[in-house]
Order: sequence, then structure tokens, then C-alpha cells
Amino acid sequence: MIRALGALLLCAVAGGAYAQTSPEALEWLRRIYQATEQLSYTGTFVYQRGERTETSRIMRRAGEAGGMEKLEVLDGEPREIFRTRDEIRCYLPESRTIKVAQRSDARAFPALLPERVSGLAAHYDITLGETRRIAGFDCQAILLSPKDDLRYGHKLWADVRSAMLLKARTVDRRGQTLEQITFTQLEIGNVARSKLRPPQAAREWRVEQAGAAPADLSQAGWHLGAELPGFRKILEIRHMLRDTQPVGQVVFSDGLAAVSVFIEPWSGHTDAARIGLASMGAVNVYTRKVADHLVTVVGEAPAASVQRIGNTVEYRPQ
Amino acid sequence: MKANISALMDGELGAPETEQSLQALREEGEALEAWRAYHLISDALQGRALLASHCLHRVSQRLATEPVLMGPLPSQVVTAARAPWFAPSALAASVAAVALVGWMAFAPQQETAPGLAPVAQLPQPAQPAPGNNEPARVPLTPAAQDYLFAHQAYSPRNSLQGMAPYVRSVSVEALAPGKP
Repeated sequence: MIRALGALLLCAVAGGAYAQTSPEALEWLRRIYQATEQLSYTGTFVYQRGERTETSRIMRRAGEAGGMEKLEVLDGEPREIFRTRDEIRCYLPESRTIKVAQRSDARAFPALLPERVSGLAAHYDITLGETRRIAGFDCQAILLSPKDDLRYGHKLWADVRSAMLLKARTVDRRGQTLEQITFTQLEIGNVARSKLRPPQAAREWRVEQAGAAPADLSQAGWHLGAELPGFRKILEIRHMLRDTQPVGQVVFSDGLAAVSVFIEPWSGHTDAARIGLASMGAVNVYTRKVADHLVTVVGEAPAASVQRIGNTVEYRPQ
Repeated sequence: MKANISALMDGELGAPETEQSLQALREEGEALEAWRAYHLISDALQGRALLASHCLHRVSQRLATEPVLMGPLPSQVVTAARAPWFAPSALAASVAAVALVGWMAFAPQQETAPGLAPVAQLPQPAQPAPGNNEPARVPLTPAAQDYLFAHQAYSPRNSLQGMAPYVRSVSVEALAPGKP
């Protein structure tokens, strides 16, 4: 009975899933991509998952040297993330820590390039939805409905004029919202360089450098089994976690969703890690122990997908 | 049966098992207890304030007294594992050599003296066997923030949303799991 009900629900939710991907919708994704690259803006957005919400301010200055971006959480402790072309710095006042990820280390940043947008149609039905006003902007809705249970669905709303993304919602297969990012205020246009300064962190804050570099896990005997349909390996690196723990990271993606597998020696974990499955909004975290190593799988994909990728991890020395 | 109840809640149970599980629930035994516990866990994890206030309070109190299982690493543990490959100068060396030496450090130790294996003394919470078994549902640990931050950098979604999705890696839940 429940199954029948589920099937019914699925049909009701998917509704337009029978609709084929439309070229107009693909063109919208390309426009959003370009807007993300080219626009300068200042705005406030709300990040929502379940009944929790957090408000943040974002500032972006496009242009020379890949632009600059700053994100500042306005609720609670003033956490900030500052991005330049070469690095991303995460300022955490509570632990007085600055986490630094070098962007130049891992050359191939898996961007969703305009020419790859059409590849998404293999895994999602991409269609246009309604038009609606958000934060004062007339927006066009774009729906990405997954063709299987291995990924989540997405609904995006973009400004009709500039194609700037005003709202993004991730839904599960029942159509329930897992997380949502909504701009409540946005100003598109030049952002003065003086406004985009890295936060004034105290000198004694601890700086944790990730120092990513290319890696080959199979050389050390790690095998990540058969891939999940539609997800392919896009990156394999090693870096440091918390400045002390060497970790290997393999990223799989279907072009939109990404799942990372982290492998690190268990010996660093003096306490038992939480073996099992945890979730936060659209992100699932699956933790396993394999051959005296801690395997952590993190991805914005359904629990079953994250688990399947995690369960393929094997250690087979040559 | 418990695994079936969990799957039932997620709507992932086949028809015959569903019938079985529903029957078990009618009998008001262990299955019903599991059903209630799982819903409580699910509500608490998602921060739904729909629970009776005293119940939520009791659960919070219990959580507060629980030890934090995954803290920052004491530096001496790591010193032993510290191989020359991640000294800054080593990074400048040829990538191939670095990768080769580096990954040796990741290879599991085949023969560890029993006294030296820290794992042997660790309490192992419900270790899920890979396969069909439902893994234990666990809360996020403070370490999750590091993984979220490292993961976000490589998500193609950044191309559509700029830096906004990074907000996950600095959200309250990721930084201080369990706090409101």
C-alpha cells in the first residue's frame, strides 16, 4: 500500500518529468553560468535547511585576476569566507582559526562549463517553470528533475534580465525541500575594491594550510570500485586536514552534484569517529573504517548514493 | 527488523517486507519501540521543535553529558606519521615523486604490534557492514566542517551559484553540531 502511495506521490511530484529537456532551459543554465562569472554584486541571502535558517551577506567583484568574493554569516559568530583567484580563506572566530585552500594547487577546477551544460540532460530533465518575482527581480524558474534516484532535484530561479541566480532549492525524490538559498536583497553593479577586504583577523589566529597536490590513490592500493551511474571521477588530490592530518580526496560528479571520498590514516583519530550516516540539508556524510583508515564520503546526493560510493572503497595492495 | 523499520520510514521497503513490518508494528513490541525512537532521532536531527518540550529538554540534557568523540588531534600522534612529503619544500619537488612517496604514507600498516594498534582499544559504535545493511544514523561531528570546506571547493555547483553554497561549511550545524 505504502509503495503504491509512494509511486503516486512520485508521479504527482515529478508531474512534468515526462517533459523532455528543452533547449530554452539549457540556454538559461548557460546564461546563469555566465552571469555567475561576469557580474559584480552585493546581496543578502537566507540559507535554509529543515526549520533552520541562517542569513549571510555576499559580495562579489568581477574582473581582473578572476575577481574576488566575500561571504559573511550575519547570524551568530561572524564567520567569513574570502576568495581570490588563487585561494579561499575561511575565518572562524570561535576556534580562532583561518583555513586556507589553495586554488592553484589543483589545476582542474571542475567547473560546470557552458559546453558541458547539455551533458546534464543525460541525468536530468531540464525544463522551464513559472516566472515569479523574488527580492524585487522578475525571475524565470528552471527545473532539473533527476531521471533516477541517485541524485536530487533542483529548482533554480534566475533574474530575467541579468540571469543572476536569486533562489536555488534542492528537493528529494518526494519533492520535499532539503535546502534552499534565497536572496532577500540584491544589488547588481560595480562593487568598490575598498569594500572587499579580507577580514581583520587577529595575528595569533592559527592558519591551517590545505596545500593540495595531485595524487594517485590506486598506487597506494586504494580502489574505488565501480562508479555510480552518471558520476565520474573528476579529481584526485591529497591535502592536509586541520594542518596535521594527511588526507586523500577523490571527487565524483554528474556535472552538477558532487561526492567527495576522503581517505586518511585511522591513527590520527584518537577517539572513535562516528561510524555511520549523518545529514545536513542536502549534504549526506557517510563514515566507514577500511583497513585501518577512516573513509568519509561527503556529497550533495541522496544517502543511498553517498553510501554506494563509500561502500566501493577497498584496499588491495599490489 | 529494526533495519526494516528504518527502511520503512524512508519509504525504501519492498511490498512483502512492508507488510511484515506493519504487522510487527501492530504487535506493539520492539518494532514499535524502534519506530518511536527513529522518529525521535529524525526529529531531533532535523531540529524540529515539534516534540513535547520536556522531551526535547531531556534529550538535550543527555546529549550535553555525552563526551565529544572526535576532537582535534593531539600533535604528537601525528608527528610519527609526518613524512617529508608534505614539507613545503617537498611540494616543489617533482609531482610524481611526491605522489609516490606521499601515498606510501596512506598505505595501511600490514603488521602493527598489537600494543600499538590504537584501534583495538577503541569502542566501536555500531559498525555497519558494507552492503545492504542500513548504516547507523549519527550526528555530525565537529570534524565535518573540514570535510565540507574541502568538498565545496570542488563542487560544480559553484559555477551556478558563486560562493553562496560555501555557507554550508560555516553553518552553525557544521561548526558546532548539536548547538541550536
